[in-house]
Amino acid sequence: MPAGHGLRSRTRDLFSRPFRKKGYIPLTVYLRTYKIGDYVDVKVNGAVHKGMPHKFYHGRTGRVWNVTKRAVGVEVNKQVGGRIIKKRIHVRVEHLQPSRCTEEFRLRKKKNDELKAQAKARGEVISTKRQPEGPKPGFMVEGAQLETVTPIPYDVVNDLKGGY
Amino acid sequence: MAFVKAQKTKAYFKRFQVKFKRRREGKTDYRARIRLINQDKNKYNTPKYRFVVRFSNKDIVAQIISASITGDMVLAAAYSHELPQFGLEVGLTNYAAAYCTGLLLARRTLKKLEMDEEYEGNEEATGEDYSVEPAETRRPFRALLDVGLVRTTTGNRVFGALKGALDGGLDIPHSDKRFAGFSKDSKQLDAEVHRKYIYGGHVAAYMRTLMEDEPEKYQLHFSEYIKRGIEPDDMQELYKKVHAAIRADPTAKKSEKQPPKEHKRYNLRKMTYEERKAKLIERLQALNSAADDDEDDE
Repeated sequence: MPAGHGLRSRTRDLFSRPFRKKGYIPLTVYLRTYKIGDYVDVKVNGAVHKGMPHKFYHGRTGRVWNVTKRAVGVEVNKQVGGRIIKKRIHVRVEHLQPSRCTEEFRLRKKKNDELKAQAKARGEVISTKRQPEGPKPGFMVEGAQLETVTPIPYDVVNDLKGGY
Repeated sequence: MAFVKAQKTKAYFKRFQVKFKRRREGKTDYRARIRLINQDKNKYNTPKYRFVVRFSNKDIVAQIISASITGDMVLAAAYSHELPQFGLEVGLTNYAAAYCTGLLLARRTLKKLEMDEEYEGNEEATGEDYSVEPAETRRPFRALLDVGLVRTTTGNRVFGALKGALDGGLDIPHSDKRFAGFSKDSKQLDAEVHRKYIYGGHVAAYMRTLMEDEPEKYQLHFSEYIKRGIEPDDMQELYKKVHAAIRADPTAKKSEKQPPKEHKRYNLRKMTYEERKAKLIERLQALNSAADDDEDDE
């Protein structure tokens, strides 16, 4: 009998719960709120059968475009053939996590706003652009001892010692 | 000792998954909790309040709680050990006391939210099924009954507390199926019987039967009632006065006791590294001196 290609095919390990984390899921999952425009990670929880996305979306990150009673609409990119389509799926909250992909950006934005406000108070112009890591500075090597290595001339007797 | 096959091997412990802490303690029913707390996502941060009723052997706790990720927040609480302030000093865990506690909590929350003028609730406790009618300006305060791990049988005291809260003016979805006095055969709530329970009529009836049949047991069982001179016929008047006192001023009173400056220690303090080393040295010296004494004796 050939292997089927059903909705949950090949998900034996993907959807299984991790070791010693089976059973009831912690309640913070239900207490989180999602607003339109937030970024969320889709991570399927095999213990909850309703509102499961297709296995393709497991591990994808997308933006929220709709909020309903128990589920959230997420817009995820999918490559189909030669183009990338924005696909809109509805996923129950048990299969979502708030994404930290924009966290670094938001913190940096806040810090930059503070720095700019301070600079404005002082009356100077600063650049808050990130600079890429440059080449390492030059340095002197410490404790260096010079050892000159020269090749030794070929000695037939020594090499044939092993027997021939 | 006979050879016993080890039941719990190392492999057993390695694979053992502990249940949630409150489940291990046997205090929280997570299946019910998930369903009580779950708020519609399109209501965002609107809190969903639970009317929590818990009974201990000597006390009744009624609280209005909303859940959050950092922990549940209690909006208002009422305990049956506060009822002496309102004139009820004995029988603090019976059906009537549960009614009083529920009523106290309801009036307290409404006063806190400044809704107590609008929602008077049911002034006269008749035992009939009463639901709050929405007033013009604000909608009634809604909470969901959280029973905990109690078996919800007809006539359970949690439903006494529920009735108290309903008559106090809270909007709690319910049915009259589990109130005391609901008859399974006729599928109707007998309001008279329920009213008897709310005013402690069942306790008074027991008191009367004991007084006639077993006076010694009566003295033993109802000693506190006798000490305060409460007769079976006074019960209804007593509870009516308590209800009135609760409605008059339900605010919580802060206790004047200061918290103790030094806390009593309930478990042994752990020794520091130095203390443990010192103790070891002491033990070794004691052992050496004992060994020396033995050698000398021999």
